[in-house]
Amino acid sequence: MHDFAQWLDRTPPSVLIQSSLGLIRLLQAAHLLTAGVVCVSGLVIALRVLGVARRDEPFDAVWRRFAPWLAGGLAVMATTGLLQTLGDPVREFTSTSYWVKLASVVTAIAITAAFGQRLRVSGGAERFPVAAKLGAAGLVLLWLAIVLLGRMIAYDRAIWGALSLRT
Amino acid sequence: MTAETLIAAIENSAPAVWMRGVVAAMPVVESIHVLAAVAIFGTLLVVDLRLLGLRDRRRALTRVSEELLPIAWLAFGAAVVTGALMFSTNAHTYFSNTAFRLKMLALLCAGLNMAVFNLVTRRGVAAWDLSGRPPRAARVAGALSLLLWACVVLLGRWIGFTKGYDFSIPDGIDLDFAAGH
Repeated sequence: MHDFAQWLDRTPPSVLIQSSLGLIRLLQAAHLLTAGVVCVSGLVIALRVLGVARRDEPFDAVWRRFAPWLAGGLAVMATTGLLQTLGDPVREFTSTSYWVKLASVVTAIAITAAFGQRLRVSGGAERFPVAAKLGAAGLVLLWLAIVLLGRMIAYDRAIWGALSLRT
Repeated sequence: MTAETLIAAIENSAPAVWMRGVVAAMPVVESIHVLAAVAIFGTLLVVDLRLLGLRDRRRALTRVSEELLPIAWLAFGAAVVTGALMFSTNAHTYFSNTAFRLKMLALLCAGLNMAVFNLVTRRGVAAWDLSGRPPRAARVAGALSLLLWACVVLLGRWIGFTKGYDFSIPDGIDLDFAAGH
């Protein structure tokens, strides 16, 4: 992985991003603001399943309101995140936080998509199964952890100690 | 007490010494600060889009606010505590940093905007709570709030690009400013 990261680091697209500090800052700024959109959209969907937010609205209405924002935000974050990774592959690939964050994002998307498929029933008085509520509670923690882990990439050894992939 | 002695006192306080001395303190505190900022921006985005009449048009504004503002306030409290801890580590440098000063100015303006909205505009909310198009003053407050909070988050990020650190960095912390992160 380290060899691949070093090879990627020397490719023209990577060098181009590395040479443009303005682009890196723009990517980070866009990634950060979009994290707010994604995190809160994901949280509201999860809180609706938990019965904490928008209890008077059917789950389907909450889904239609927030899922497009979640999907759009994730698309922007994926693009800006990929470009940031391309711009500094060694730093990203040797960060434990980076890989845990990616796994958390995939898990959060899978749980949210499962909610979208299974819980969108008509009517406002849905009673969700315990498994769905447990999934929603996990989802709340995941969305918060994803933002935390994003910032922690810069501090891998201080956060993970011996578990850090950075040498 | 002058500003200089106050800043020196903050920088020499026990929390500041603790922050500088514990390897994981800055990374954890900063990460929580970022999470709090992101949560504030995200929750206010939903409320402000309702104020602008662009989303949740059939849902009462007061209802949208009551659901999300407690999260925003909780996040704001966390941001203040973590921000103060970060400031204390290197108060002199933060205080003289332009991005930090502009961030504080944006925060002040956001607070004033919120105060004017709550004390003046919102007094007549019963008449337009369910309106898909709130009055102009409410829409202006929503637009200003969005703009100012985006500035707060972005200027916060900018501090990291411009501030630098003038204390000795504990072993094990990789600040990596040269790469612009």
